[in-house]
Amino acid sequence: MLKRLYGFKGSLLPGLFVSFFLLGFALLLFMTLLGAEDPVQITRLDERVYGLLEFTLYQAFLSTLLSLAVGIVLAWSLAHQSDFKGRSVLVALFSSSLVLPTLLVAFGLIGIYGRNGWINQISIALFDHSFGSYLYGLSGILLAHTYLNASFASRSLLHTFESIPKEKYKLAKSLGFSTFQRFIYVELPALKPTLLSIASTIFLLCFSSFAIVLILGGSPAYNTLEVAIYEAVRIDFDIAMALKLALIQLAISTLLVIFSSNFRTGLSNLKTASVRIPWKEAEHIGWIQRTVIALFTLFFVLPLLVIIADGSGADFGRIFAESLFVKSFLTSLVFAVASSILTVVLALFLSDAKRHFTLKNRLADRVFSKPLSLLISFSGNLYLAIPSLVMGLGFFLLSQKYEAPIVVWASAAVLTANVLMSLPFALSVLSPVMQKTAQRYDKLVFSLNLGKVQRWIYCEYPYLKSSIGYVFALAFCFSLGDLGIIALFGSDEFSTLPWYLYQLMGSYRTNDAAGVALILLVIILSVFVAVPRLFERKVSGGEVAEHK
Amino acid sequence: MFKIIHTLLITFMFTSVAFGQDIKPTLTVYTYNSFTASWGAAPKIKEAFERECNCTLKFVSTSSSIGALRKIQLEGKHTKADILLGLDTSIAQTANKTGLFEKHDLNTSMLLLPVPYKDENFVPYDYSYFAFVYDSDKLKEVPDSFEALASMPENFKILIQDPRSSTSGLGLLLWIKELYGEKAGAYWKRLAPHILTITKGWSESYSLFLKGEADMVLSYTTSPAYHMIEEKKNNIKAASFKEGHYGQIEVAAMLKSSKHKALAREFLSFMLSPAFADIIPTTNWAYPVVKTTKGLPNAFEQLIVPSKMLLMDGKKVEASRKAYIDEWLNALRR
Repeated sequence: MLKRLYGFKGSLLPGLFVSFFLLGFALLLFMTLLGAEDPVQITRLDERVYGLLEFTLYQAFLSTLLSLAVGIVLAWSLAHQSDFKGRSVLVALFSSSLVLPTLLVAFGLIGIYGRNGWINQISIALFDHSFGSYLYGLSGILLAHTYLNASFASRSLLHTFESIPKEKYKLAKSLGFSTFQRFIYVELPALKPTLLSIASTIFLLCFSSFAIVLILGGSPAYNTLEVAIYEAVRIDFDIAMALKLALIQLAISTLLVIFSSNFRTGLSNLKTASVRIPWKEAEHIGWIQRTVIALFTLFFVLPLLVIIADGSGADFGRIFAESLFVKSFLTSLVFAVASSILTVVLALFLSDAKRHFTLKNRLADRVFSKPLSLLISFSGNLYLAIPSLVMGLGFFLLSQKYEAPIVVWASAAVLTANVLMSLPFALSVLSPVMQKTAQRYDKLVFSLNLGKVQRWIYCEYPYLKSSIGYVFALAFCFSLGDLGIIALFGSDEFSTLPWYLYQLMGSYRTNDAAGVALILLVIILSVFVAVPRLFERKVSGGEVAEHK
Repeated sequence: MFKIIHTLLITFMFTSVAFGQDIKPTLTVYTYNSFTASWGAAPKIKEAFERECNCTLKFVSTSSSIGALRKIQLEGKHTKADILLGLDTSIAQTANKTGLFEKHDLNTSMLLLPVPYKDENFVPYDYSYFAFVYDSDKLKEVPDSFEALASMPENFKILIQDPRSSTSGLGLLLWIKELYGEKAGAYWKRLAPHILTITKGWSESYSLFLKGEADMVLSYTTSPAYHMIEEKKNNIKAASFKEGHYGQIEVAAMLKSSKHKALAREFLSFMLSPAFADIIPTTNWAYPVVKTTKGLPNAFEQLIVPSKMLLMDGKKVEASRKAYIDEWLNALRR
């Protein structure tokens, strides 16, 4: 047994090392948090803590419900309207919500739904009526969360709709099902597993939502735990309070992750094809579906248009001349490149090690396989259990304990957070593909006795590169757009683009803020579109033929 | 690509290091962002002070002045700050308690302040009164008291600042506490539906107000002077409240950890000179604490002037600030 294990050491050790390193890091963080203050102080819970917890759970629950409802209706409409022009562009656009910085979304939503936003302006011009202010508080938070997550949900759900065997539709048609019956008996059962997994993901994301709540919350009444941690450290300098909240946040999100890990699969079903469903929709149903698509498109595109419209009027000469902008821009770029490279490498190591424990012709039949495989999965999904601000607080406490310039600690914190944030997505994309390459090439590779490098060059890379490109782009955008941990460490000496934008939004300089928002949007969207293509383009003719 | 960025970054770091090692000493002042803005007081003060000090004056800004204090606390011994500028008398005691600040040894007894002032560490440089500011073209029915404010219709919205991060936010908290005492929490509950959003610092609220997001913003009786002088607009006004207005005396102090103490002292005494006072009214839009060379601009005569400055004793504030804030936080819970 050991001999066989030894035979795989080349690909096992890096992955296991990474996995243990990550878990060790989590443990260190946890010990630092736990050891930092007097325990009596921490365990005393007052009404405010309960209030915070209650609101955090409440808004996450509502956000999830809304996102799912909108996501299902949208996916349903898209699935049955498979042949209009620009459908694939639309679907691709919705999927970009995954990488849209939350800060930009808040910025765009204010431009549309704010008291002086487009909707009120149009309404005043046409009917002399203003809807007033409704964007700050719970409604704003829900709106932004739905914006970000409904599009994400619809993408995965659309894939599920399209994977329903066409025979089932034919059968339902022949039984004379109504559209409603079709949904209940054919579509809903197929959606259920996907629904659970995206619901749990959305819930976790909303539970630890930061930038949206920070900007649109508007009052301590609408604070989530994350924002309260930030305020306790940066505003109140009440480390004991921050710690108390961080431990609660940590406990609950870990519970949620453990509870939901059973059905958290297939986040990566992002590739959709236009498959015609053999069911011609009734005229009025078709109208409903087209209206849903049109409305959601408006809902999704308008905030982006505001960013473009407001931003294009900015004085870019002045923005580029600002040394803090240049500094933030370069810092962001360096961190984005570094963290996306790291993410790809770590995800490859982890999935390479993981497939040993799940494949029959490798080590899947061993006793230790299942726990080790789980361990690797858990270490890759740490971010969902340890939210950004909790991690930030840990780093902050470490920085107080061990002498080093704050910039060093801040860089370490931001880089770690960025990598961990992208890892769950990277793993869910790369792991299944690597699994497949192993299934496909293992026998060939073993019989040809190919070395590790040869295997990589001839078998793995050609098969993986489009996924790698996608992961690279994803990690790059995540890192570039994140306003999480930087909120604790940001300063004039250490600033990233989102932090700089947040500072601008907080000062008089709305024009510059609009300009910077546009710059951020352009970089993110172009990276998200261009980088995966860059990787794809190298696909040789033979490779394409083989895929068919 | 990566290499280019790397090279750029390294060059950039080197140049900034080179600048740092200028022959002249650099005095670093932490303050809030509306002070350092290009139209704020900082650029002119830098120019005026550098003429006499043979030094470089560097302002580092944060979104609020309490934010600047927290930054110094976070940085601890490593802080680059020599001076913290922008706290007010309500929060200065909290700062004093950190033990980070040094005595100023200046005579502050003959300053032109509406109330007597004495503090070993913090030197005042300007003052004003908190007030709710509105656009008289848009708002016809102007509340003239806190009662009237809380009784405005549901869709009437105000912008205020967080008392934990902003001196103006804390000012409002204390203003209401002075007037309502035990019933302050109940008053906040009544006011809550009218609060559009609570921002970290003053400038964030003020820019939201100027964008038309709310009917009123918590600011100063002196804010309208900015619009009169800089924009020639008379429609931005401060509402006069018959209960009286809470005052703000802005102060600065030097840090014990400062490496340029002589220079820092020189700056603190410069704050009490007419040269500094000349800059304040039309940049920081407040009243200076010493006589200016030419008196105040005409626009200042059109401002409302409260008959009395409400001001809670700093020690009392420090003793109960946490309790007041908890009361506020609890009142604002749904």
